[in-house]
Amino acid sequence: MGLMARDWPLWFVSSFVWRLPGKPSLKLAGFSHTEQGSGLDMLAATEETDRREMRARYFRHALDELKHAVMFKNRAAALAPKTKNRTTAVLNDAEFIASHGINQAQSLFKQLGELEFLAFVWVAEKRAVEQFDVYTDILKKDTETVDLFNKIFGDEMFHVSYSRAELDRYAEQGQAQEVKQAIFRVKRRRVLEIWLRFSRVLGDFMSTLWLSLIYILILGPSSVMAKLTEKQKVGFIAPEPVHGTVMERAALQG
Amino acid sequence: MARTILGISALYHDSSATLVVDGNVVAAACEERFSRLKHDSSLPVRAAQWCLEQGGITIDDVDHLAYYEKPLKKFERLMIMQLLHFPKSFKAFQRASMLWLTDKLWVRNNLVRELGIHPSKILWSEHHLSHAASTFYASPFEEAAVLTVDGVGEWATTALWRGTPDGLEKLHEIHFPHSIGLVYSAFTAFLGFRVNNGEYKVMGMAAYGEPRFEEEVRRVLILNDDGSFSVDKKYIKYHYSATESYTKDFEELFGEPRFPGSHFDPTSGEGKRLADVAASIQKVTEDCLVGLANRLYEETGLENLCMAGGVALNSVANLEVLTRTPFKRLHVHPAAGDAGGSLGAALWAHNEVLDGARGEPVNHAGLGKSWTHEQIGEMLKDLKIAHEDIGDDLCQQAASDIADGKVIGWFQGGFEWGPRALGFRSILANPRDVEMQDRVNEKVKFRERFRPFAPSVMAGAESRYFEIPEGAEQPIRWMLMVVPVKEDQRPLMPAITHIDGTARIHVVEKSANPAYHSLLEALGEKTGHPIVLNTSFNLKGEPIVSSPVHALATFMRCGLDVLYMGSYRIDKSQMRGLDRVGETTE
Repeated sequence: MGLMARDWPLWFVSSFVWRLPGKPSLKLAGFSHTEQGSGLDMLAATEETDRREMRARYFRHALDELKHAVMFKNRAAALAPKTKNRTTAVLNDAEFIASHGINQAQSLFKQLGELEFLAFVWVAEKRAVEQFDVYTDILKKDTETVDLFNKIFGDEMFHVSYSRAELDRYAEQGQAQEVKQAIFRVKRRRVLEIWLRFSRVLGDFMSTLWLSLIYILILGPSSVMAKLTEKQKVGFIAPEPVHGTVMERAALQG
Repeated sequence: MARTILGISALYHDSSATLVVDGNVVAAACEERFSRLKHDSSLPVRAAQWCLEQGGITIDDVDHLAYYEKPLKKFERLMIMQLLHFPKSFKAFQRASMLWLTDKLWVRNNLVRELGIHPSKILWSEHHLSHAASTFYASPFEEAAVLTVDGVGEWATTALWRGTPDGLEKLHEIHFPHSIGLVYSAFTAFLGFRVNNGEYKVMGMAAYGEPRFEEEVRRVLILNDDGSFSVDKKYIKYHYSATESYTKDFEELFGEPRFPGSHFDPTSGEGKRLADVAASIQKVTEDCLVGLANRLYEETGLENLCMAGGVALNSVANLEVLTRTPFKRLHVHPAAGDAGGSLGAALWAHNEVLDGARGEPVNHAGLGKSWTHEQIGEMLKDLKIAHEDIGDDLCQQAASDIADGKVIGWFQGGFEWGPRALGFRSILANPRDVEMQDRVNEKVKFRERFRPFAPSVMAGAESRYFEIPEGAEQPIRWMLMVVPVKEDQRPLMPAITHIDGTARIHVVEKSANPAYHSLLEALGEKTGHPIVLNTSFNLKGEPIVSSPVHALATFMRCGLDVLYMGSYRIDKSQMRGLDRVGETTE
């Protein structure tokens, strides 16, 4: 893994982050989630592509990703610190990595189309290879985790090379401009996603703040009245009397 | 002109869509089978689109969309609970508010935007009404008492109904936080399993224990003489906490909770304690359901009982309900949990809102998407996977493989409606092999050793192996009742006989699943036993496979020997190179 220029900013950040207590297992559990999600995206591509000759490639890629998900999960569980809460969190993450599906109404392949999907695969896998280079360097002492990255590295290189070869094929067929644009859009989207993640964190923070104020200032005083007027409904309760026609009732959400 | 209703259940867990035309079910599917997200709770856009395709219509042809509950009533309950439990409800309020304000409150808009339905066509059922309709209108009974029991809907956690040709009449209900389903889930969390997922593991674990904590459980879940029940709030937290379901007082009653993922050894002291806790909550749940059913019989005098709601998936309790009450016949809906809400809402809209004529009972569970012979063959060819088309020899060949001790994947027809594998997407093996349970648990499904496997048996042969009570014909068709294995058969059927000598039986009728029935027939001819070990075709934590690609990906990541998809046979021992790539997963 020394063929590409090292990503030094990532190296700097990672060498700090990976030393935080419990972080390696959480990071690996996170990778497990990502690989599982990618595996499902690749299975969807296998089903949805019109280029039947690509099916076997996508399928093999999917099996690689699903295999990596299990490998990362197992290592995450092995590294989980023994304090109860964190371990529980990691184990939950690790045990239920498979709870990771295609979250949107359309698969990534359908959203992007074949060319942009391949551009996405190439950009993402290339980035993974660069990250693995950094992680193996900063985790030198953890030989088992380094071995894990090295095992996965070969598969990732294959993913980089086949997706690049396909993009080159498109370019040779007169779609060089489209390939460039697709790669640009993918890279732009990745930047946008970082911004969106940041915005989400900021949004969550602001919402939490507002909701805390509403809780304290509005629910607090109202709760006194609610508690005073609470009617304990225990055991069998007779159904409430109904009003209006069945169609009128069916039209109501509440 | 045909009346078409699209039923939708969503936004809690196991979202689903169902298409009902003139009161008959045309298509039904859970969103998880498309999204591959187990228990997917999102709006079932893909499932709905597939239902419409299956019916050969578009959303514009749908007369009504029936949603399975009233979201504003549910929101009202949440807000009242937050008020009553101020300030302990702080975190739950934040979490719930985020979810509701960003998504759940806008169901109507989301249905309109995502599915393209006209807002005036949307009808809103109630949660337990949808459950009741799903089981009653899909049953073969003209009249029946109906019991719906789950975690919680709007306010109700339990409801008692009378079902007649005039419709469903609600007799009583029990309100949140008094909930059998949520108390059972609290024990599920205590025993180290995931809530809304691991409840059936508690049922499996219970067989290893004795109910020596019954008295303690009865302090949490109080059974009243009139058949109703209540929950002592001292022991529970689920009414004000979004992440925890029991209190320190609960732990004082039952001891240290099980660490999630830790090894469960029923022979150790600790394992025995946990099994005893599981056996105790199971026993009290059974007593509670029997009490409710007896009350329902007293009030209705009807001989048929229909059940739905997540608690009706407790197949051990279902036997108790049938044998310890005066009811003569029991029907449990195959998708008894929230997934069944879409079917119930659609049947309610047809039968009660629009006063339509009652349709045919649901006769088989293969209501999901299917793939043609050509589509499967094309995919195998494209993936360069070695296979053979065995045509009419399918059942004979599959029976030979099972008899030879192979574990096979079985992918035929449309995928199942509900959580059970009923011979459309199943993993099958020889139940007479003493090592088969461990082999399938460890090498194929990668799951806990203590968990039992169910048998599928050809209709007509069930009484040879099992003690089946009168009136159980419906639940045993859907694998929703656990019955004793006959004493003399237990040593002969070790892989499907649970530690307590029982099995969760699935009786296969020809009309419900002809291919699977033929397989059992062939197995009977070869071995003298038309019975097979049947477990769902998935790996731990994943939804049951739906498409050929998912079946192949699962096949190649586990210890299955042979896969049958349609009439294609894929033998792992014949695979070379690329098509064996996934085998190193574990």
